Amino acid sequence: MGYSVQIKNLDLSFGAVEVLRDLNLDIHDGEFLVLLGASGCGKSTLLNCIAGLLEATDGQVFINGRNVTWEQPSKRGIGMVFQSYALYPQMSVKGNLSFGLKNAGVPRSEIEDRVGRAARILQIEELLHRRPAALSGGQRQRVAIGRALVRDVDVFLFDEPLSNLDAKLRSDLRVEIKRLHQRLKNTMIYVTHDQIEALTLADRIAILRDGKIQQLGTPDEIYNRPLTKYVAEFIGSPTMNFFNGRIEEGVFRSRDLEIELDGYQWSGEASSGEAWLGIRPEHVASANAASNMPYSTEIEVELYEPMGSDTLVWTFIGDQSFHFRLDGQIKVSDGDRLSIGFDIRRGSIFDKKSESRL
Amino acid sequence: MNKRELVELWFVRLVLVAVAAFVFSVVGVLAEIAGVVTWLALFGAAGAAILLFLEAGIPSLKGRLARYSIGWIIASAVSLVIWVFAQKWWQTAFPSFKGARKAWDTFEPLALFGTALFLIVGLAIAAVGTLDKSSVRPGRIEHGFVSNLSAKVAAAPMAFTAIGVFVIATLWTVYHSFTNSRLLPKSEFVGLDQYERLWSVERWYISIKNLAVYGLLALVFSLVIGFVLAALMDQKIRFENTFRTIFLYPYALSFIVTGLVWQWILTPDFGIQHIVRSLGFENFVFNPLFDADIVIFGILLAGLWQGTGLIMVLMLAGLRGIDQEIWKASRVDGIPAWKTYIFVVIPMMRPVFITTLVILASGIIRVYDLVVAQTSGGPGLASEVPAKYVFDYMFGGQNLGQGFAGSTMMLLSVLIVLIPWAYLEFGERKRG
Ligand SMILES: Nc1ncnc2c1ncn2[C@@H]1O[C@H](COP(=O)(O)OP(=O)(O)O)[C@@H](O)[C@H]1O
Ligand SMILES: [Mg+2]
Repeated sequence: MGYSVQIKNLDLSFGAVEVLRDLNLDIHDGEFLVLLGASGCGKSTLLNCIAGLLEATDGQVFINGRNVTWEQPSKRGIGMVFQSYALYPQMSVKGNLSFGLKNAGVPRSEIEDRVGRAARILQIEELLHRRPAALSGGQRQRVAIGRALVRDVDVFLFDEPLSNLDAKLRSDLRVEIKRLHQRLKNTMIYVTHDQIEALTLADRIAILRDGKIQQLGTPDEIYNRPLTKYVAEFIGSPTMNFFNGRIEEGVFRSRDLEIELDGYQWSGEASSGEAWLGIRPEHVASANAASNMPYSTEIEVELYEPMGSDTLVWTFIGDQSFHFRLDGQIKVSDGDRLSIGFDIRRGSIFDKKSESRL
Repeated sequence: MNKRELVELWFVRLVLVAVAAFVFSVVGVLAEIAGVVTWLALFGAAGAAILLFLEAGIPSLKGRLARYSIGWIIASAVSLVIWVFAQKWWQTAFPSFKGARKAWDTFEPLALFGTALFLIVGLAIAAVGTLDKSSVRPGRIEHGFVSNLSAKVAAAPMAFTAIGVFVIATLWTVYHSFTNSRLLPKSEFVGLDQYERLWSVERWYISIKNLAVYGLLALVFSLVIGFVLAALMDQKIRFENTFRTIFLYPYALSFIVTGLVWQWILTPDFGIQHIVRSLGFENFVFNPLFDADIVIFGILLAGLWQGTGLIMVLMLAGLRGIDQEIWKASRVDGIPAWKTYIFVVIPMMRPVFITTLVILASGIIRVYDLVVAQTSGGPGLASEVPAKYVFDYMFGGQNLGQGFAGSTMMLLSVLIVLIPWAYLEFGERKRG
């Protein structure tokens, strides 16, 4: 499998503000890559560079092996979908889909074919003669996707396409985008700040922070083996619990707890020194299951948040605030005492200073 | 609608009619008829109030709306006192009031009207307050005279000014254009004589023709130049603020100053012609203000110089309001910038264009100062415009009737443009 999009040593600054620094990214043919990061970290900037809407300060962009760094957006073989839909409001849906093709001199019959096919795929055939103003948000975004679809390109770029939709529509359209990818099998680069979208859609996720890629990996890797403390905190909801302590001779000691690190998969050599130990709320076992865990303790429920399938329980281990998920069927109330435990094999340990995985 | 609601509805309507008719009678348009209508409407409203009372019985002072009705009745009493002060018998009995006689006389009709109106409203509110429990939806009277009263009182002066200036003054003008008013307005009707005279003088024809030429060209050039400048400014150029200020400066000058400046520039002996000739082109001729065939273009030049900056700023604001993602989408689609402007951006800027059009059109129809400052209508009658015709007849020729006829024609031409447009614009929206 070849590379569809390659980014080499890309720099981009707005005046004195450096947004992207020496960024490298290779995206496979037919891959669904999600660029995930907090807002303002440079995701849109990177996507616009790939699209050619922004000129790179330095570095190169290759699409299908061709150096397109100085190519016009329309000549790069990409289609793009925007957060605000960016439909042409005075044109009908059909006009929106065909405007670019007409301008490029595509024969009329072929325009009809392509528009018809896109409309079928996206189920917007009945809407073809409406104006965007007469469409719902979800329908508008479908039309915007259609506009990328009729361009018949290999690479689709999405810039937070679902952020303007309400929660229900968002999850519906998310599934449809996934289905579209399964069907078309083109490369898709998808920008979002929503980790659920990233985890559900992506073949690989690139986590961006301050214009640098913090981690590039499958959703499974990102979730289970975050390479930095930032990634560990960013992914997962509710967020990971962290303990601040020291590792000495295979034992993690903090003010509040002491855990043997037997079985932990070290990234390199087993190390020692100041460190963070992180454990996800959903990897904490309670009640009977807790006693089988390598580490277990007894806590008092401070506060609980029922969420239907689970209950999120807030408590303290020593002086340290700690939260974990409990099966929604187990009834708890404030002040109850529970035994909980976890296996360090499911935890993550980060160096105190560099915050990278140990 | 039950009987109560009907009575309340008519009460509110009659009060409004009474106020409107009263304003007419004070201003002097159809004064006698308006006076009669005023009092008929007041009697009608009083009748409606009595009907409400028949239903309500004796209102109690603790009624729900008693506070409001007492307020209105106090206002009525104050009016009554003012009215009494204006009466001859009062002034004979208390000679100290004679000093301000004129003032009291002015207030007399207002005071009498106010006394009656406030009393009737106060009583109607008392009746409504007794009838309705606070749980029912407020009726028309409560809605109109009690709810949000302070806001209504605060808005009243503005509403009166707007109605007074725009509606009454317009009607007054149209009305007097059918009279033979000369130095002072009179109510002696002469039918369409003023209009016949208007359309028989050559000066009026020239004025209309000039306005048409000036208007059309000013409209087209202002929009085109303004938009192109704005589009250039929108390219993230440097020193944008400086350019914007420079372009906008002429707008800060009055038409008179603009006119004088351009008069100098276009005068053969000092201006462009002089400069070009002194460069060695001895036969160069450029004297638009002294050539009857092209004088209107000289005026147009000054008008454009002054007005285009504002149009540019409006257009620039409109362009800045366009979502940047639209531009990105069109670039991905491979649409050239000029096509994006024409097919996407300009249609999106429709509201801005309409605002601009209204501003331009009103400026064009009122063009007067520029002509006065540059040419005083000359050479001969070559640069006359309708506004100048009207002004000259009203204040110079001491022939109000002619002036009114001219301004009525101007109003008519505005309406001919405006009404179909408003119909298309708003009628369509209702259907759609
Ligand atoms: N045109 C611009 N001029 C200057 N700074 C910009 C511009 N566009 C974006 N930035 C800055 O670049 C950073 C990254 O922006 P962006 O890529 O839009 O972030 P996001 O990840 O939310 O999409 C932000 O800090 C933003 O302030
Ligand atoms: Mg963004």
